[in-house]
Amino acid sequence: MLKQFLLVGGALLLASCASPKLAQETGSLAMVSASNKILPYPIYQHKLSNGLNVVTVPFDSPGLASFYIVTRVGARNEVEPGVTGFAHFFEHMMFRGTDKYPKEAYSEALKSIGAAANANTTQDRTLYHMTGNAEKLEYMFELESDRFMNLNYSEHDFKTEAGAVKGEYTKNSASPYQQVYERQQETAYNTHTYSHTTMGYFNDIVDMPNQFAYSKTFFERYYRPEYNTILVVGDATPAEVNALAQKYFGHWQKGSYVSTIPVEPEQNETRYVHLQNDSIPAYFSMSYKAPAFSDSKIDMPALDVLASMVFSNTSDLYKKLIIEEQKVRFIGGGAGDSVDPGLFSIQVSMVNKDDMAYVKNEIEKAIAKVQIQGVDQALLDRTKSHLKYGFAMGIDTPSAIAESLSHYIQLTGDPESINRLYALYDQVSVADVQNAAQQYLKPEHLTIATISDAATGELQ
Amino acid sequence: MKFIYQLTISLLLLLSSIVQALEVSELPQANANKVVIKVRFDNGSIVDPKGKEGLTYATAAMLASGGAGGMSYAQLQDKMYPWAASYDVVVDKQISTFTFAVPVKFVEQFYPLVQAILLHPDFLEQDFTRLMKGQQNYVDQVVRASSDEDYSKFALENQLFRGGNMAHLLTGTSQSVASIRLADIKAHYHKVFTRHNVSLGIAGNYSTTLLTQLKNDLAQLSDAPYVAVQPSQPRAAKGIEVEIISKQDAFGSAVFTGAALPITRANDDFAALMIANSWMGEHRKSYSRLYQKLRETRSMNYGDYSYIEWYNNGGGNQLPPSGVPRASNYWSIWLRPVQIAQQLHAQYPELAEVKIGHAHFALRLALREFSLLIQNGMSADDFAATKTFLRSYTKLYAQGPEQQLGWLMDSAFYGRSNYLVELDKLLADVSLDQVNQAIRQYWQVNNLFVTIVTDNSEAQALADSLTNNTPSPMSYSTLVKSGLSPEILAEDEIVANFKLNIGKVTLVPSADTFK
Repeated sequence: MLKQFLLVGGALLLASCASPKLAQETGSLAMVSASNKILPYPIYQHKLSNGLNVVTVPFDSPGLASFYIVTRVGARNEVEPGVTGFAHFFEHMMFRGTDKYPKEAYSEALKSIGAAANANTTQDRTLYHMTGNAEKLEYMFELESDRFMNLNYSEHDFKTEAGAVKGEYTKNSASPYQQVYERQQETAYNTHTYSHTTMGYFNDIVDMPNQFAYSKTFFERYYRPEYNTILVVGDATPAEVNALAQKYFGHWQKGSYVSTIPVEPEQNETRYVHLQNDSIPAYFSMSYKAPAFSDSKIDMPALDVLASMVFSNTSDLYKKLIIEEQKVRFIGGGAGDSVDPGLFSIQVSMVNKDDMAYVKNEIEKAIAKVQIQGVDQALLDRTKSHLKYGFAMGIDTPSAIAESLSHYIQLTGDPESINRLYALYDQVSVADVQNAAQQYLKPEHLTIATISDAATGELQ
Repeated sequence: MKFIYQLTISLLLLLSSIVQALEVSELPQANANKVVIKVRFDNGSIVDPKGKEGLTYATAAMLASGGAGGMSYAQLQDKMYPWAASYDVVVDKQISTFTFAVPVKFVEQFYPLVQAILLHPDFLEQDFTRLMKGQQNYVDQVVRASSDEDYSKFALENQLFRGGNMAHLLTGTSQSVASIRLADIKAHYHKVFTRHNVSLGIAGNYSTTLLTQLKNDLAQLSDAPYVAVQPSQPRAAKGIEVEIISKQDAFGSAVFTGAALPITRANDDFAALMIANSWMGEHRKSYSRLYQKLRETRSMNYGDYSYIEWYNNGGGNQLPPSGVPRASNYWSIWLRPVQIAQQLHAQYPELAEVKIGHAHFALRLALREFSLLIQNGMSADDFAATKTFLRSYTKLYAQGPEQQLGWLMDSAFYGRSNYLVELDKLLADVSLDQVNQAIRQYWQVNNLFVTIVTDNSEAQALADSLTNNTPSPMSYSTLVKSGLSPEILAEDEIVANFKLNIGKVTLVPSADTFK
């Protein structure tokens, strides 16, 4: 597929950022202006007495609804040694049944709903989702509440599932980009849990079968109302959803566990990591420490705007390095939204590895230009327009809206963050972009990762 | 004067007959905030000239990623940027589809770009150099290195269709891509992107004026006579023909199988087989048989599925995408990478003596499941549950305007008016007997092609094991084995000795693929 192929560097490289921003770039200002919010549909929120937040967004999709549960637990919460990758592993265990619905019965029940249902885990959250017949909504509630409260798997099933996780690691690790991403995270972070990927360290994955007792603790800690948000988008009313939530989740006991995530000390020097691999074109990434996501501070929106202006396929860099000089196969950059300070990563796939230093220098020159001169106001306005219309065009199905809202629920717990963020985009000024570049894109906060056939990295 | 008048009339008539002949799929949605246009050419990689494989792809790429109408590619991108409009092309074996999407507010400003891209590509040398470097790099390196799973699928198609126009990668081969010149692309554009093999789809909040304009513009495409090319049919395997692709540092063994399937969505039988296939191996569904047997029970890998048509980007898509219809079909089994011996050694000391990983056992297990299904048929309960599932699930295939339009256009490819609606009726009406009849008629496990991408360290041992039908006992860790029921261990014993009708096993170094 051409689409895939053109993105072959990009898709693989950018998978590591996992930011829906990329997926959302495809929009209606008419709708935006109607409500003065980027999401042209009202968001209804209702908090149960046990702390569980219930969100409903009615959408004109007759007979169709998306039912999502955002569990705000991810690799970030894996603070204890030896259990990296556990949030993801646990996501797998959630399909292993309860007393009421043992695994075979759960599978049959899931099949009977006829929904597109799955789950996935990132640094900051675990997401369980179903999109299907809106008439089955009550059944979805029943099944989900049962496993979220009463999950009960055998030790044997636990050990068996560990093999599937190893299989997933095996599948992912075929990609050198994934391999270097693992090393990049480990190099950029010394104490914070973003130092390991969602899959976890290989040794911990190998040891997973032995962690049955810990898995029970994990469930006790995090599968509690205060860590979860229920989100329904589509052919459903808030009254209906709230009543179902009360009926099926109202008696869920609140927990008390709070994870203390180590704070990453300030980085004081450029760090390097290299992977020797001759099977793919030479590659490098430049990852600067970025701010945590915020829907009230201008820093991250300013960096997002900067990323689009400096690294997208309309940027001067793109035109020079890819179109004119043809020294680069792919270039992209941006900050992934994260609960704690993440990385602003620029990723480059080279035509010839000998040009790496030159290309890095061109990138640094482009950043320095923003730091010293700021950016062009007209381009800034065009970029804001791009972001808004891009978002609006992408939200045309219940699942697309639910995906987008889940992203912000994971970050702040509040789906209204999406509207606040886009209001902030509107306010970003030339000075904001310049300040963000000065504050965050500094060499002492940089980690450089390279892949080439050489024994040591070309940029070291 | 009269003569000129008559000529004009005939030209107008001719034009209107062309316009009428244009196949148009319409999906007006007054509430939509955007317009989606799809322009499909019935060409695809099967029309690539011999020795110039990858030419259709390269030509489509020059249109979608090059300058047009006197604007450079960068200028086109600049213009669209504030509107967040987009366009791209997907090339498959039999078609190439351009998709344009734009907010309603900017349709009029965007449309001249659509015209330029389709009708007035500039074919600039600079774009050509850039895009061909990328394509060459993909066939030389990237296809082998980024995903062993996709690699095994492309290699399987190469084996299944060898000698025919369906065999080669969409992007071509190392040699063929190197031979493509700009002149080839210009000629190919004129020859296979014509008004005679184009069809149009439009969805969203569009005007009749836009639609008329589009129809008139598509009539301005090349008038070169288009001779439809038939896709080559899958070869008949002589026994089970296995190609093992041996590469450095593979973490597992990625397995894909394929055998000819004479039916497609065009045939009503397809719905019957769809029920059997969903029960056996629905894509990414934990309740299908293969998934249960290999992953849930035995912890062998990340997932196991079966297909009765090409499923594009299976690693990324949860639901089947539109835009890849094919008239030459095969059914397949996808076993996601299973462990190799080296990995088992690293994880479990008790498996230090294992010489071959799980690929042989996994293949036996999957083929035995098919063999059992062919023998026994589906049960009435499984049939009823799967039918109910599919009648709900298939309604999720086309959710947004773009997918809805895509499925509608694919319907026309198969001679149907709205496949998803017709499919629901077919599923509703199909009987258990018809499903079991379809299973027996279309599936067999004795003659098929298999591709396995695996690590150098066990390629030869795996080849020997397959060639000799050597028993392949499942090598569990003690942890997992201790909890397995006697029934499963007994089944393992049968699977380990399940005889495969091996016809030929060939070892292929990774470097020799897609030459």
